[in-house]
Amino acid sequence: MIAPSSPVAIALVGCGSVSRLFYQPALRELRRHGLVNILAVVDPRADARNTLAAALGAAACTTLDEALALRPELVVIATPPAMHRAQAEAALAADCAVLCEKPLAAISVDADAIVTAASRSGRLLAAGHYKRFMPAHRALKTFIERETFGPLLDATLVEGGKFSWPAATDSFFQREQTPGGVLLDIGVHTLDLLRWWLGDPVDFTYADDALDGLEANALLSATFTSDANIRLRLSRDWRTENVYVFRFARATIHSRVNASNQLEITLEGLPMTLAAELREPLPGRPAPPTRALDKNPQAFIAQLVDVCAAIRESRAPFVPGIEGAHALRWVEACYNRRTPLPLH
Amino acid sequence: MKPTSHPHTWAIIGASGFIGLRALEGLHDRDGVTVRPVVRAAASLAVLARRRLDWRIADPRDLPALTDALRGCTVCIHAALGDPFQIEQMATIAYQACAAASVRRLVWLSSASVHGQNPAPGTDESSPIHDRHLLAYNNAKVRAERRLEKLSSDGRVEVVRLRPGVVIGPRSRWLTDTAADLRANRAGWLDEGRGVCNSIHADNLVHALRLAATVPAAAGHAFLVGDTEPVTWRDFFLPIAAHLGLPATAFAPATPAALVAKREPALAALTQSRLYQNLGDRVPERTKRLVKALAAAWPDPAPAHDAWTLSRPPASQLTLEQTLLQSCSWKLPHTKAASLLGYAPPVPFAKGLAASLAWLDFAEGPR
Ligand SMILES: NC(=O)c1ccc[n+]([C@@H]2O[C@H](COP(=O)([O-])OP(=O)(O)OC[C@H]3O[C@@H](n4cnc5c(N)ncnc54)[C@H](OP(=O)(O)O)[C@@H]3O)[C@@H](O)[C@H]2O)c1
Repeated sequence: MIAPSSPVAIALVGCGSVSRLFYQPALRELRRHGLVNILAVVDPRADARNTLAAALGAAACTTLDEALALRPELVVIATPPAMHRAQAEAALAADCAVLCEKPLAAISVDADAIVTAASRSGRLLAAGHYKRFMPAHRALKTFIERETFGPLLDATLVEGGKFSWPAATDSFFQREQTPGGVLLDIGVHTLDLLRWWLGDPVDFTYADDALDGLEANALLSATFTSDANIRLRLSRDWRTENVYVFRFARATIHSRVNASNQLEITLEGLPMTLAAELREPLPGRPAPPTRALDKNPQAFIAQLVDVCAAIRESRAPFVPGIEGAHALRWVEACYNRRTPLPLH
Repeated sequence: MKPTSHPHTWAIIGASGFIGLRALEGLHDRDGVTVRPVVRAAASLAVLARRRLDWRIADPRDLPALTDALRGCTVCIHAALGDPFQIEQMATIAYQACAAASVRRLVWLSSASVHGQNPAPGTDESSPIHDRHLLAYNNAKVRAERRLEKLSSDGRVEVVRLRPGVVIGPRSRWLTDTAADLRANRAGWLDEGRGVCNSIHADNLVHALRLAATVPAAAGHAFLVGDTEPVTWRDFFLPIAAHLGLPATAFAPATPAALVAKREPALAALTQSRLYQNLGDRVPERTKRLVKALAAAWPDPAPAHDAWTLSRPPASQLTLEQTLLQSCSWKLPHTKAASLLGYAPPVPFAKGLAASLAWLDFAEGPR
């Protein structure tokens, strides 16, 4: 990643859990490195905005307009998805770049509108699919594309556990405000990764356990042009192994969820598993061990660094907004094809 | 818009837990009861939210919040569980909140463990209960029942206490812990599982909850409730092992471990001590959690592992609770529930266990 030449002026919209737990430490770290200047945080709830503003040394704004008046270059949107469209459009109209948390919007029509607004304004739009920055996921992409271990035969991904995100209100669980359950919440990341690794699915089936509310368990089975069969199980109900297993012709690879710089590789014919930490490459000569690659929070920071660099270099970000719109469209297609899961 | 409450709404406190959730599903989906889940935090709604329900967020130890949450309900089922101190506190607060919110009946989930995990042959509801058990949980359940008996003497709320034994069903820890122990090669049993398991399938318990909430004559009573069949631990364990493709020998003969037996009463002694209890809410939540975590993390005197030690699977070590449970020789009767409530457990043990195993496959993946 290339560091921008002068700090990027940022406004952070939404002072909920994701801002507190992720953006606060990430932005502080970036400021320490002189990469960002945190102008403002925005939230209608005084408590939330004042606490975060104090922690970040930023202005506490009640509305986005107040923050836009301070002329940020980048607006980071970390509010409930139903608000993303209006806020992104307002920020883009004010000539700001936008990094929008996942899902890009509550519904794909809104996501498309955000993408259109960005291309009309000529401003940068990035989707918060930071899991693409994890070294393990980048390695998997290389293995799949280059067939390092032969073609991918199939993959089983299981992800989730008893829900523990400190949701501040119940809006997260109300259909009117959040139109999806576990698939929209954590699955949108996984679907984004699958698209990134394998392209658009050729076909898929989807089932979940929502009745007239939001699903807590979901099952997706998809095929891709490579012929690989992918099975994804998501849960916010019960513990899962939290692992992606990729079976290639000559190796099986386990990638633990959020173990950003680790892979377990079982090579065909070798009766043991290599549990590997991913590090900076070693030179082809005797040398001391190299530095470990990014852990999960560092991968989150890497996305912000990329977005800031993209602004300074007038280039597209690593995960452009349209990718967020595609992932959301797949989520919606799943809901449209939904069959019920047995409730037990 | 959330659906509006029906005039006969039943609140379920602890509706995100194992029994609370099952009760919600049974009462709402099968019986058409208007249920109002009451949970501690928004995050507790993750599974409940599969249905559109008129939920409330209130801590069961916060009297004003709980009172608000219960307003408009005729029945309150209490299925929340806390640490021993909290269990007692919750009983008082549940009663006071029900009284303040004009709830007609409080159905309190007590436990068969008020009689101990290994009750003397002949034990039934008429047997005296005491609070000198080795396990703090048992004592807390006894004291909570006593508090409720005392409080309800004012006649403001009818209280019915249910005393289930080992509750089995989807999400039951008895099932998932056993499967986890088997998978980790550390499952053990006493006397090859010949002890009596006072089981009750969760749906049989929901049947009892429904009766406890509605049968007028139930008011003021405590009821033991269980499955119809006499069940041994072997009857429970072996189908789980078979389901995982393991033979009976997957259960190693276990001896009750001395340290485990000492540790639980030590924690119990601390949290039940007059000093700790008198501190009440002045003991910060963080300190309580720390005490709990310390006790849980107390190191077993396992030999240190170094490169000169061959690794081997951990030895089967039963907790005090398991040891007592598996030593049980008495099937607790539910004659009183049958005659006073009309309790007739609808789910046979084998069928209930098979369905629970089907859920386990779904939740944790087939092995
Ligand atoms: N499981 C059995 O075999 C069994 C046997 C006999 C009796 N019982 C009794 O049945 C009742 C329900 O048991 P369960 O097995 O369903 O328990 P559980 O799965 O642990 O659920 C209990 C629920 O209580 C809620 N809760 C509220 N305040 C709490 C606090 N301070 N600390 C921890 N949790 C709190 C939690 O929900 P939220 O925090 O999400 O609101 C939790 O989901 C208990 O009274 C238990 O003693 C159970």
